[in-house]
Amino acid sequence: MARKPEDYRTDLWVDWCPGCGNFGILTALSQAFAELGLEPEKTVVVAGIGCSGKIWQYFRVNGVHVLHGRPIPFATGIKLANPELTVIAIGGDGDLLGIGAGHFVALGRRNVDITVIMHNNQVYGLTKGQASPTLPYGVKTKALPAPNIQDMINPIALAIASGYTFVARAYAMDTRGLKEVVKKAIEHKGAAFVDVLQPCVTYNDIYTVQFYRKALYKLEEDPSWDPVVKSPEEDIEKKTQAFIKSHEWGSRIPIGIFYVNPLKPTYEERLKERIPTYLEMPPAKQKIAVDGGRPILTVKDLVEVFGDRVVYRRKKVN
Amino acid sequence: MLKICAECAETNDIGDRVVGLGDGEKLVEEPTLNEAYIVIGGPQGSGLETSAQVLTVIFASHGYGVIANREYHSNIIGRHSYVAMTVNSVKTPRYFNYPFHVAAFMDAESVFVHYGDVVEDSILVYDKGLDNVNIDSVISMRSDTKERLLHEYREQGIDPTVKGVTKYLASSKGVQVVGLDYKNTLSILREKFSVPPALARRYVSSIIVGAVVGSFGIASEDIIREGFKYRFRGREKVVESNTYIASLVAKEVMSQVKTYKLQEGRAIDEFSFVVSGNDAVAIGKVVGGVRFQSYYPITPAQDESFYLEDHMRMTTSRGDLGGIIVFQTEDEIAAIGAALGAALTGTRAATATSGPGFDLMVESISWAYEAEVPVVITLYQRGGPSTGMPTRGSQEDLFAALFSGHGTTPRIVLASGDHEEAFYDAIKAQNLADKYQLPVIHLLDKFVANAIVTLQPPDLNSVVIERGKIITSYDKPEPYKRFSLSDGPISEFAPLGVKNAISWYTGLEHNEYGLVSEDPETRMKMVEKRVSKFLLADKEIPEEGERAVLLPEGIDVSDVELLMVGWGSVKGVAVEATERLRGQGIKAAYLHIRYFAPFPTRYVSTVISNVRKAGGLVVDVEHNELGQAAKVIEMNTGIVVDKFILKYTGRPIYLNELIEAAKKIMKEKISKVVLKYGA
Ligand SMILES: Cc1ncc(C[n+]2csc(CCOP(=O)(O)OP(=O)(O)O)c2C)c(N)n1
Ligand code: SF4
Ligand SMILES: [Mg+2]
Repeated sequence: MARKPEDYRTDLWVDWCPGCGNFGILTALSQAFAELGLEPEKTVVVAGIGCSGKIWQYFRVNGVHVLHGRPIPFATGIKLANPELTVIAIGGDGDLLGIGAGHFVALGRRNVDITVIMHNNQVYGLTKGQASPTLPYGVKTKALPAPNIQDMINPIALAIASGYTFVARAYAMDTRGLKEVVKKAIEHKGAAFVDVLQPCVTYNDIYTVQFYRKALYKLEEDPSWDPVVKSPEEDIEKKTQAFIKSHEWGSRIPIGIFYVNPLKPTYEERLKERIPTYLEMPPAKQKIAVDGGRPILTVKDLVEVFGDRVVYRRKKVN
Repeated sequence: MLKICAECAETNDIGDRVVGLGDGEKLVEEPTLNEAYIVIGGPQGSGLETSAQVLTVIFASHGYGVIANREYHSNIIGRHSYVAMTVNSVKTPRYFNYPFHVAAFMDAESVFVHYGDVVEDSILVYDKGLDNVNIDSVISMRSDTKERLLHEYREQGIDPTVKGVTKYLASSKGVQVVGLDYKNTLSILREKFSVPPALARRYVSSIIVGAVVGSFGIASEDIIREGFKYRFRGREKVVESNTYIASLVAKEVMSQVKTYKLQEGRAIDEFSFVVSGNDAVAIGKVVGGVRFQSYYPITPAQDESFYLEDHMRMTTSRGDLGGIIVFQTEDEIAAIGAALGAALTGTRAATATSGPGFDLMVESISWAYEAEVPVVITLYQRGGPSTGMPTRGSQEDLFAALFSGHGTTPRIVLASGDHEEAFYDAIKAQNLADKYQLPVIHLLDKFVANAIVTLQPPDLNSVVIERGKIITSYDKPEPYKRFSLSDGPISEFAPLGVKNAISWYTGLEHNEYGLVSEDPETRMKMVEKRVSKFLLADKEIPEEGERAVLLPEGIDVSDVELLMVGWGSVKGVAVEATERLRGQGIKAAYLHIRYFAPFPTRYVSTVISNVRKAGGLVVDVEHNELGQAAKVIEMNTGIVVDKFILKYTGRPIYLNELIEAAKKIMKEKISKVVLKYGA
């Protein structure tokens, strides 16, 4: 029986401000889940703290609401312990690129098969509108006492530099476009990042729906745009073109897929190199006890596995 | 008669015709030692660890129980390090003592620093080629250490050169000093094994091995080879050349001194594990079913994860037994986060760290408590605060283990006293985490973590894996409630991925489904649920014998003159001190605290009150300057322990200093003795 987007939703009242871009993200993700036919029990949404971080409870899939900045480490632990789960890490721009920036970079290095979705509203919504790491220097959003004194991070460029193998940007109000990108991101094998431009109607009076309506254009409109790496030699070229594109920010802002590299081994594949049985017997599936609680390892096994620490009594006199 | 053996002669029954270490070589007719203390020293990165390992294996493979503790700086190459060893013929010792029977040094700094560790009849082997080195020219020594030593030398009229110090030891102290020219000794390698001179320095570790075994009358290549074979597995040429040098040196030492004899080794039967505390925990975790360990490197915790990483795959002759994922993260916040994520899938998950890393994990501990996630944090204590003394020991993190984290978060905290406890506690910690669905902090100190011992094969028949209310399937018609209140404070735990059991976790207050709630009634119920789990643990875990142990076993509490109370690595030295004090007619006992939460309140109160009622003295023994355990006792029992023997130099408590301090505190009615032995 095919599932509908509503099947992926709880019936809780959604308490974002009316008109918030987060609604579009919620809709698009439920549609993507339905179209991919994800099994709710095998799907885990790991969310951070912020307005964005509230999203987990609105899905009828497993939800893990963690600490501010930490969705990626939790998501990684879940995925590595049970690789058959589909794991999606969601956070705000403050969550993922401020307090959690170290984890954001680290996931790229590992290429764990996780999808990271960032609600980019350029502000700290839930703490009432401070500047987030994606707000450009000199811009004054509504709640700021003075124009932003810090520079912005370029999330797309950072993701590429960190090693993400799927990097895209989408727009929260374009639910269809967003849904398509999210589907590809989830289907991608490896670390995927989707930077979702998300209007915050309450605190961001600069990056508004009106602003985006004028500025956004789709990368795919250019038929020559091809973000996919088809051979290892192409990688730097594809990264570079994406990197250059990522610097378009202002009156013209591209959305769509910037870079995809399906060739790089995932962390799970790398682990399999070390432990050939890893995917069939991942940590979550291993039997650790037998006969009502005896450890699976016997002393004899210990002597074999930890033989490098065993010293035999040489010989006994008497 | 050797002065340093006075202690063992008193307390140990020494047969007068026993076979020495050289199996069948000859019968020893003079009284022999059943325990020996050894110190070896040299710059870091020069092979001292090799010497220690080879010696440990030589002794272990001949049936001796061994403990070896390495003291070192936070440095890779060049600074002074040393290893103190205790070798025992009938048991595995868990303490260090001085003065040392044997001292063997690689460099000048060791001679300068350890000159006070040897006494009459001790054997000291050093490099004669360093005779002219003046303490001033030893650049690896820091100025405060130099000044302190120079002051001592001046007072005793010692010339501050290697020659001056060794001469003083030989003539004024009666130390058996052996000066060998290391360079000459090593030059033999070139002729015999064509080892180039540039590589010859590596063999200094064999000189040290030879010096030590020779001091015990052992020079047999057959015996010595055992140690090098273990160290240089499969590299036969290296084994042979090292064995040769060590044996040569041993013969030389034997010809120059009156050697010691050890009783036949009877401490080990068929085999033993030669492990550090880190290894013991690692192996315990694997037995206990940990299949996911995350970590960020930090001394003295990293060796545990590193060792596990080297054993990620468990293949044995009966097949593939799976594997443990060891995940090196970008920081400790990620380490605990990943462990918690893994735990949510039903995997037994753990992380290992020490003070600074633990501090970074604290926010997540609070989360784990709120979200009821079973996870184990192995916390290796080192010298703090801040970066403190990264490579030195302490027991300073008890308060941090107990009280860190915002909100009401009573977690389980257990502390291991030695390697056996460390092994079994590693398993126990996972069981407790699963049973009560909360974070468990397993405390160790560096003195256990980094000390290498012979460990008897574990008794796995006594080990049970208890997973509490974890379920692997869910088929009730109603939706799954992760935090159900229907069956006591502990709810059924369906890991992520279980069919029909969608679950929600949050650090926010939540209802039975795990969805956010701020309803006052729900809040009360959930707070009470979590606290009740802890209270249940308090009810279910036995106090006497499990959470606290009175040693020696079976003694009459109302007949104790001196009760030492301690925890962690204090156990080894306190148990032995207790025994020796008893040998001297002082009715001593040691109360070993193993759980700090839930605290064994009733048992500890009873023991302390009974000892006091009968006029006995209660003394807190710890490696910190506050007496943190005493404060926790006071907090839980209302009993004030106001006598202390404390040490906070970062070095272990040695047996003799503890015995002396115990006697002093009994005799002089003082409230505190601060210990400071050890370079
Ligand atoms: C360790 C920690 N520090 C601070 C906070 C307070 N806090 C809650 S939400 C938030 C900012 C969220 O901003 P962002 O991640 O951009 O999410 P948004 O609300 O904009 O979706 C902060 C700082 C916290 N929860 N935890
Ligand atoms: S504050 Fe902004 S981001 Fe938060 S819910 Fe309101 S509109 Fe959305
Ligand atoms: Mg934001």
